[in-house]
Amino acid sequence: MSAGLERAIHVLKEVIDTPIASYLNSCVHCGLCAEACLFHTETGNPRYAPIYKLEPLRRVYRQEYTLVGRISRALGLSKPITDDDLAQWQELVYDTCTMCGRCSLVCPMGIDLVYMIRRLREGMAIAGHAPQGVIEATKRTIATGSPMGVRLPALKVQIAHIQLETGLDVPLDKVGAEYMLVLSSMEIINFPEFMVSIAKIMLRAGKTWTLCSEAFEATNSGVQIGVSDIARLIVSRIVQGAEKLKVKTVISPECGHAFTALRWEGPNLIGRPYTFKVQHILEVLDEFCSQGLLKLKPPEKDRYTFHDPCQIVRMGGVLEPQRNLIKLLVADYVPMPNTGKYNWCCGGGGGVSANEDTKELRLIAFKRKKTQLEATKSKRLITACANCRVNLEEGIEYYRMDTTLFSLTELVADNLLN
Amino acid sequence: MNITNDNEFKAALAGLSVAQQRKVATTFVENVLPLCSDTRVATVITIAKRDDVTDLELDAAYQLANTVRVESFCNCGQEIDWQIQTTHFIARAAMDCAKPATEQTNLAWDAATDVRIARTCHGITSGEPNEQQREAENQYRILAEFIN
Repeated sequence: MSAGLERAIHVLKEVIDTPIASYLNSCVHCGLCAEACLFHTETGNPRYAPIYKLEPLRRVYRQEYTLVGRISRALGLSKPITDDDLAQWQELVYDTCTMCGRCSLVCPMGIDLVYMIRRLREGMAIAGHAPQGVIEATKRTIATGSPMGVRLPALKVQIAHIQLETGLDVPLDKVGAEYMLVLSSMEIINFPEFMVSIAKIMLRAGKTWTLCSEAFEATNSGVQIGVSDIARLIVSRIVQGAEKLKVKTVISPECGHAFTALRWEGPNLIGRPYTFKVQHILEVLDEFCSQGLLKLKPPEKDRYTFHDPCQIVRMGGVLEPQRNLIKLLVADYVPMPNTGKYNWCCGGGGGVSANEDTKELRLIAFKRKKTQLEATKSKRLITACANCRVNLEEGIEYYRMDTTLFSLTELVADNLLN
Repeated sequence: MNITNDNEFKAALAGLSVAQQRKVATTFVENVLPLCSDTRVATVITIAKRDDVTDLELDAAYQLANTVRVESFCNCGQEIDWQIQTTHFIARAAMDCAKPATEQTNLAWDAATDVRIARTCHGITSGEPNEQQREAENQYRILAEFIN
């Protein structure tokens, strides 16, 4: 047994807690999780059934914590986990799972498969069985604060560009501001218009806001790779930044895992409650609109539909704000089939898009999203996650769909009444 | 005509016809084409700047530029390559040159700002802090010459 494997099995034993034991005993092999997983439904590959992805964890549990399993192991009747097993399962655990949570939602036994995938990833990462792209992203996060290697000078250059172009102020390290915005590197790099939108909105709403030079990155790759220590480190940076700047609210941007990590897991990760509120940008915009702080132009007449990002909606609980905003912006809104918390994933979250081996599979999985979109007969698609945006754009481009994609925050900013 | 700031620049662009805006927008993009690592963008500009370009050709050019834009996205978690980002925003600017437009669209302004973001990205690698400001001044000069 290699040292890495020994460590992995040790970690897997450690992560098997009461909930996991209960889940593993509860599975009735109904297959509903498989029918909820787009990697399974679009490929027909039975290995991509969510419960099958957890097989190494199940085998460790059985062999270590059940009487029958221990006896089988002692008699040489059960197959021990090997390095080869973990190498094979790397594809299943990292390439074919975005941790979207749809399987957990539909399980009739209430099994939280995402929770188990996270813990399995933790063991596999320690054993060295994680995709190189995800490992590198995590290293960059530890070293620079950003999984994509975006450093403060680059952010400052983008801020300067925005200020020059628009005349709008993008404050940095403003003590006492009401709101502190954290950004995903995706927004800084790919969608600089997001920061412009925030600047416009905050000015119009009459609210003070700031970025934090020591904690501008929202993305939590520790959550994606399944390593709690790294997840804690990333959340702690934001908490320290927010407390140093004495802000009342931290705004999580249009980024999926950033929100679930910061809003729902953060206090448990750092071991204490926050001294500030955490809201998703959509919740903030909805509040501003309902308070009359933002006045929008009359709704557009073209047909639009909306892609609910998994981490924000199903896992994060932000379901109504986006619908309230869309009602103000759009006269002809058609929801996708399986809208809201049952929405199908874009196929790129949970570190999958950082994984260099997954492009082909993501495009196959996208067929599910294509079907949803076609059912709406809408040429305009709105979403609220920078990672979803890129994955949706790639799928739309690959399948030559006549669809234009919009960010909800940017739509709000573009439709502010003069 | 002398243009010295963005207010004058934007107003002057808005006063041009759609065809004129396309023409001047392609000139903005041509100014940064040496920074672009994808030769398809040059093809887009060649098409978009023709006086006799048809709507069908513009649509094809737009799709080609969009392909370059999407292919050059930096995916979440991948290490940023500012050279590829420069190409990404030049492709965006090329899309602006070829996109469907009405008299209300200021496609040349859109192209100008995307070109400036491209310069910003290039400036991060080149270490030149003022590339964006110089690009804006270049654009003022280009537009003034075009109008005159």
